[in-house]
Amino acid sequence: MTLRFELKGAISGAGDASGTTGARMGRLVLSRDGDQAGSAATADTSIDTPNYLKYTRHGLQPHMVREVAAELEGMPAATRVQLEDFLADELPDYGKLGDGMHEFIGLDRSELLVLDTLDPTVPGRTAKSSNTFMGIDSEGGTRRLTAEVFARVADQLKPDVVVPLADYVEEPHPSLTQGKRISKSVSRSCKWLEEYLSKRKHAAAVFAPVMGSHSTGLRDISAKMLAGLDEVAGYVFNDVSLDVAFEKKLQLVEHSLERLDASKPRYMAGASAPDSAIRAILRGIDLVDSSYPYAVTEQGFASTYVFGGDSAATGSAGHVDLWQESMFSDFGPLVEGCSCYTCRTHHRAYIHHLLMTKEMLSTVLLQMHNMHWYQRFFAAVRESVGRGRLQQDAERFFERYCSDAGCAAFGELETLGKQESSPTTKIQRKRHAEQAQ
Amino acid sequence: MTTTDEFDNLSAPLETSTSPALKFEVFSRCSTTKARASKMHLPHYTAHTPMFMPVGTMGSIKGITTRQLETLDCHVILGNTYHLGSRPGPELLEKAGGLHKFMAWDRGMLTDSGGFQMVSLLKLANITEEGVEFENPHDGKVMMLTPEMSIGLQNAIGADIMMQLDDVVSSLTTGPRVEEAMWRSVRWLDRSMKAHKRPTEQNLFPIVQGGLDPRLRTLSATELIKRNAPGYAIGGLSGGEAKGAFWRMVSLSTDILPTNKPRYCMGVGYAEDLVVCSALGVDMYDCVFPTRTARFGNALVRTGSLALKQGRFKDDQEPIDRDCDCPTCRTYSRAYLHTTVTKDTTGCHLITVHNIAFQMRLMRDIRRAVIEDRFPEFIRDFMQTRFGKTVPRWVVEALQSVGVDLTVADEKGGYAATVIDDDFQKAPNV
Repeated sequence: MTLRFELKGAISGAGDASGTTGARMGRLVLSRDGDQAGSAATADTSIDTPNYLKYTRHGLQPHMVREVAAELEGMPAATRVQLEDFLADELPDYGKLGDGMHEFIGLDRSELLVLDTLDPTVPGRTAKSSNTFMGIDSEGGTRRLTAEVFARVADQLKPDVVVPLADYVEEPHPSLTQGKRISKSVSRSCKWLEEYLSKRKHAAAVFAPVMGSHSTGLRDISAKMLAGLDEVAGYVFNDVSLDVAFEKKLQLVEHSLERLDASKPRYMAGASAPDSAIRAILRGIDLVDSSYPYAVTEQGFASTYVFGGDSAATGSAGHVDLWQESMFSDFGPLVEGCSCYTCRTHHRAYIHHLLMTKEMLSTVLLQMHNMHWYQRFFAAVRESVGRGRLQQDAERFFERYCSDAGCAAFGELETLGKQESSPTTKIQRKRHAEQAQ
Repeated sequence: MTTTDEFDNLSAPLETSTSPALKFEVFSRCSTTKARASKMHLPHYTAHTPMFMPVGTMGSIKGITTRQLETLDCHVILGNTYHLGSRPGPELLEKAGGLHKFMAWDRGMLTDSGGFQMVSLLKLANITEEGVEFENPHDGKVMMLTPEMSIGLQNAIGADIMMQLDDVVSSLTTGPRVEEAMWRSVRWLDRSMKAHKRPTEQNLFPIVQGGLDPRLRTLSATELIKRNAPGYAIGGLSGGEAKGAFWRMVSLSTDILPTNKPRYCMGVGYAEDLVVCSALGVDMYDCVFPTRTARFGNALVRTGSLALKQGRFKDDQEPIDRDCDCPTCRTYSRAYLHTTVTKDTTGCHLITVHNIAFQMRLMRDIRRAVIEDRFPEFIRDFMQTRFGKTVPRWVVEALQSVGVDLTVADEKGGYAATVIDDDFQKAPNV
């Protein structure tokens, strides 16, 4: 397996010529030739960036089993999985469970599989880490994940990309966080990364978390260390637990980017909402994840936001609320002219009925639409970057959906983070509820 | 998962019944038992019987798209009139062009009368000659469901098959109330037939009642067949009665009901019940069990049911069932399913898909065995797999009544069952 990242150079007017910051286009290419002796040569998998990794829970996109997700067209062949979903029991011996995580979760081998540790939709974590382990909350209690165990599990699961464990700092009030805590987080994460690299046998591409929280000095140290490691093939920005304005987070990301190798891909967790994704892409982020459409679905909404083009018809809310009484007898599709399975097959009145009666099919159908819509959005964004118009198109987009006070249209992830249970499913999101307290 | 049509090589039906909205063709009869394999031509679809109909109470089968249901080879699904009548209500369903259009399902559909929910869900159900009086759980007002209203609702829903409102009494009730309910159900059938506005598009099935009393069952069935309905249901069972009484009432009913018309045994869905009742001559079944138990993480297999939540599946690489070709079994190990059942909706969907596929495959196997005239062998294999050496008395006796004796060793494998008094399997036969 080899993974390479081809950068098409900085195109957007907003960035600098080297592609260090500012929007850029690229392509992740996964080549599996020669993975198994005697296996037929397979075509390369390529993912055009900017793009998203498909967000999953237990390795499946929310609400959609494989044959349902297969109805969606044009999705990027890239999936992210968080190890924490599989920690409720003591870790099984995945070595015995067939050929790695692709097989375990039923993912086609043509897909790029990214193994991360934490779910990007969960804020407010309580488990503490130490010098030797990363603490992760699970239904079975706090799990202590050491670099050695992580290396063993990652070897067994054979993902294409590994985001090694890191000591993420919980910072609800950044001004109160001691520099010492952040310093510890940087040095632990650095040590764990080196330990993982020395212990592992399966050569997955490593996307390393860039640490340092809100301390620019400590970000420098983390970035410098990562820039010096040849094994690091990409960077991850995960400041989901840092409670500062998103714009401030992006400044911190930009600060780190200036000290990192610009030729490597960058994935940012917590930048999934359309407005966040655009802002992140404008700063040079290549990948986000599709946790946003999931959050939209959980509210019983269907996405309607439009990037570029004529969008006068869809209003400024960015979504329609299928709970509304006016949907009761609305026999129109979720969005007029939408080509997704849900819009081709069902009408608003049916989805409204399913929500009102707590039927699980409501979220299945909404998730199909919302994923289709998210994919369309990214295709439009890439086109805009390609034409060098992202800055202008972004301004029009923000004018339409955002105000000086922020983007109320895209607050579903924040709402989701505060919810004890999903309003649209009977299955309680217990793990999240416990952590929210 | 499209199936080859098991009727492919059969040219002409053995017997047929034709009514304006239903044509029933019996293609094959078991030469030992009362089982038969038939085609039921409905306005929306031609169903193959014996068949199991998954229950979609509110106009959807739990989390499963209609396209998935087609792939799973479902021919007919069931909707509940009581639930659909309150939400979204008959006006909207009529506006939508019926439930088929409302939920985008273009195969067969059956609706119950709403009467069963009145009695099972509502505290204050008072039954009079006029109908069922009940307290609306939404606003506390006293309302009335009459046979005419039930048919009105079902005409609005537009299912291929409608059920008459019957006076439901618990199968554990004894005494004069059972006879009263049986006769009232006959009177309500007559009112229902009169109220039915779409006889060329929808079929109305009467329901055989009479509790566990052979005399009343016989009277009921005899009375109903005078009405020349397109098909008949056997009701008032599967309510916690002893299985020995259950199968005798089923068998007595199928003996009276016309052989050229479909027979529907309501509320039956356990695998052994489906096999036994098919041997007794039943063609149609429904039950919430397969989809409900899936939500608790229980996957159906021929040996019983696997509670995938249990720790013993943590490292189990096997699929739920090696012989099952459903998308879940083709893709996932029990170990994977163990991590996700009862946690994510997809965990629930995966088991629901399998459980529906399990029911459909069982029914297909029954049909094939009947068509190839090896149903008795199929029954023996099935019961051996399901129960091993010890088989519940009611199963043994029901099968003896149609010429299959599990207690006598067969020539092939020498399998002979020992009779036990339990009605149900306590643990999977592994």
